[in-house]
Amino acid sequence: MDMEQLIETLRVKIVEILNLPDVTPADIPLDGQLVGGELGIDSIDVLEMVIMIEKDYGVVIDNKELGAKVFASLRTLAAYIQEKSPRLAN
Amino acid sequence: MSEIPIYIAGMGVVSALGCGVAETLQALRDGRCGLGPLGVFATAAEAGLPVGQVAMGDDPDAALPRTHRLAGLAADQALSADPRPVDAIVLGTTTGGILVTEALLEKGAADPDAYRYHGLGTVAETLARRWGCRGPLITISTACSSGAAAIALALALLRRGMARRVLAGGADSLCRLTYFGFKSLQLVDSRGARPLDQSRRGMSVAEGAGMLLLTREAPAAGAVRLLGAGLSCDAHHATAPHPEGQGALAAMQAALADAGLAAADIDYISLHGTGTLDNDLAEARAVVSLFGERPPPLSSIKGATGHSLAASGAIEAVAAALAVTHGLAPANTGLVQVDPQLGLNPLTAPLQTPVAAVLSNSFGFGGNNAALVVGFGSARATGAPGPRPPLTIAGSACVTGAGHTQATWDAFSNGQDCMGCLADATLCQGLPPRTIRRLKRLPKLALALADQACQALPAQGMPAAVSLGTAWGALSETHDFLQRLFETRQQFPSPTDFVGSVHNAPAGQIAMHLGARGANLTTSGGDASFEQALLAADLLAADPDRPILLLGVDEAHPLLSPLLDGSVRLSPLADGGGALLLRRGGPSGPNISLMAYGFDSGPRAVHHLIERLGGSQAVRRAYGAILAGIPAAHGETACRDLATFTAACGFDGPVIDYRRYIGQFGAAPAVAAVLALRMVQVGSVPAGPAGGGQCPLNGKGVLLLGLGPHLSAVRIAQS
Repeated sequence: MDMEQLIETLRVKIVEILNLPDVTPADIPLDGQLVGGELGIDSIDVLEMVIMIEKDYGVVIDNKELGAKVFASLRTLAAYIQEKSPRLAN
Repeated sequence: MSEIPIYIAGMGVVSALGCGVAETLQALRDGRCGLGPLGVFATAAEAGLPVGQVAMGDDPDAALPRTHRLAGLAADQALSADPRPVDAIVLGTTTGGILVTEALLEKGAADPDAYRYHGLGTVAETLARRWGCRGPLITISTACSSGAAAIALALALLRRGMARRVLAGGADSLCRLTYFGFKSLQLVDSRGARPLDQSRRGMSVAEGAGMLLLTREAPAAGAVRLLGAGLSCDAHHATAPHPEGQGALAAMQAALADAGLAAADIDYISLHGTGTLDNDLAEARAVVSLFGERPPPLSSIKGATGHSLAASGAIEAVAAALAVTHGLAPANTGLVQVDPQLGLNPLTAPLQTPVAAVLSNSFGFGGNNAALVVGFGSARATGAPGPRPPLTIAGSACVTGAGHTQATWDAFSNGQDCMGCLADATLCQGLPPRTIRRLKRLPKLALALADQACQALPAQGMPAAVSLGTAWGALSETHDFLQRLFETRQQFPSPTDFVGSVHNAPAGQIAMHLGARGANLTTSGGDASFEQALLAADLLAADPDRPILLLGVDEAHPLLSPLLDGSVRLSPLADGGGALLLRRGGPSGPNISLMAYGFDSGPRAVHHLIERLGGSQAVRRAYGAILAGIPAAHGETACRDLATFTAACGFDGPVIDYRRYIGQFGAAPAVAAVLALRMVQVGSVPAGPAGGGQCPLNGKGVLLLGLGPHLSAVRIAQS
């Protein structure tokens, strides 16, 4: 899966699992703030995404410091998954 | 303000540190750590997380869940020196019999009888049967502050003169829900909890029980007193504490004020100190802002006991009493290098020092905070508190299958049934989509009720406190969490479901929605949950300028409700609830009073209830109608007691079995209270339920009778 595809997939998954009522996948910016900003995504949502990422991509994000880096933006998230996921080996 | 002195006349404690006061004291003296491997249930992962597990023998009664047994052990100890029956039991628990339920659900057990100890209220009921308590039971479920909040309510019961001997405390066993739930929130330290340490990574989930026998009479030996208590709510976030510890500070200040003490009078602080990054930091900030940069000796014992959730506040109350009687400030076990960000110097070893007063903190999910003050007090009795003005009703709302308040009233008035489950879209009309996006059925019901009961209120009329009763809590979240846990072989349960599964999550949502930063309580006592919430509200509401929102709410879950609630099995699925905004005193208008409530049934109990209502003549004079709560599962007992009541009183007004209209669910009495209010407001019982013509109340009130194993009488009348 190339990066662009991964980003689009993540956009859809995020909106779906977080049940964001007034957000469409396209509204999630690539480089803008992912957590704590206008999207309304908070710390519990981050943990829900952590579970999804581990389940769907086999990538473990098991502490707050790492989470803060990985979930800085959609781009950093996708890059981390791309780098670590055994299931996305190119 | 210190009123009547309340004594700690007996204590019981069971934790990872041992069984009984002597073992606990020795472990605290030795600074021993009780954390170890999990053995209560199997985990799929190779490396389990350290827990605080109680060493307990096999169960003589195989059906009785671990929580009930832990509570029983601690209660037996607390009452060993003075085993007379207690007048009331106030117990904190977060998960009740769920350890048994989890195993049953995993194997798909379909026999409802196997689930009979699931309800949180069954822990107190089991104690009540064992110790002959026929008085009020209150089961408090405010997550990790439950035990301390229960003790705070017991203090209020005793001070109000509603009881002379109360058994109060908390109990929780290890279970999959909390073990995997806290893990999914990344709040567990894989090395074991190291509260306040620079490298702390979280808590260690634990189990245990703490029980106090609280009395108005001074015990023969020793006179450690429960000096005061304070409750508050962050109204900030479902799980994270307010970053500056605002709610924690408010609870500590309230407890000190209640005890009539200044910060300088405190000799030792027993911190909540779970070991999570956020809790320890927020609590430290609150402590520093109250005590300055040189607070008294302080520590958290959760590095030794682990975090036993509802039990922790009660276990720490026992530790606080031991600190006073033995001059022992326990160590902050597990701490190696204190986190410099905290600005505190916790005790790294046990300290022998005179201790006259201890402040003990307990905080929980939903921003539910409780603080207790335990110590030697000067016995300055001020006599019994005087009568208080009634709780007037400033707003109300209900929901049933028929719709919101007006739709329910219309259907009920016409004698049509209102049973069913209102569609989510109709239920949530007007609630902000972002607020409800993560919420399932129970919190949606609760928020809709709160929102409507408080509509069009001026800012100063908004509730400061919340008291919510629910028989079964958030069944959808609990079910969904466990189902995913089982399906994914314990790997991927939803953290959102865990956060939503705690019984006090709906009340926490209400607090955030309305900005209610006062006490925030959730009661869960089966079909008497609403009455217990009313009792709690009555004990808490002191100030006319601080209204309190009272609710009763339950959801219908297609799988769990029929398994857990025998009444649901005999009737179509139905859910809903009611909300009343209450003020102590204030302008005249309709008001509500809990006239009597106890864990009792049968002719003797009914006659006692009539006495509490002022006798049969007073019943005929004061009430124009009876709304009878007859849980189908207890139909025989309930109908017999109702017949005894009406015959003994010679009552010939309308008697309405309201569950026939609104359905069989735990919080049905809350809906009935709102319908009774409407009858009082319009001055008559509508034709439908009156059975024939409209029946005027002639200025009389409506009596809500709660029947079944719990017997209660609630009066709703114009003042």
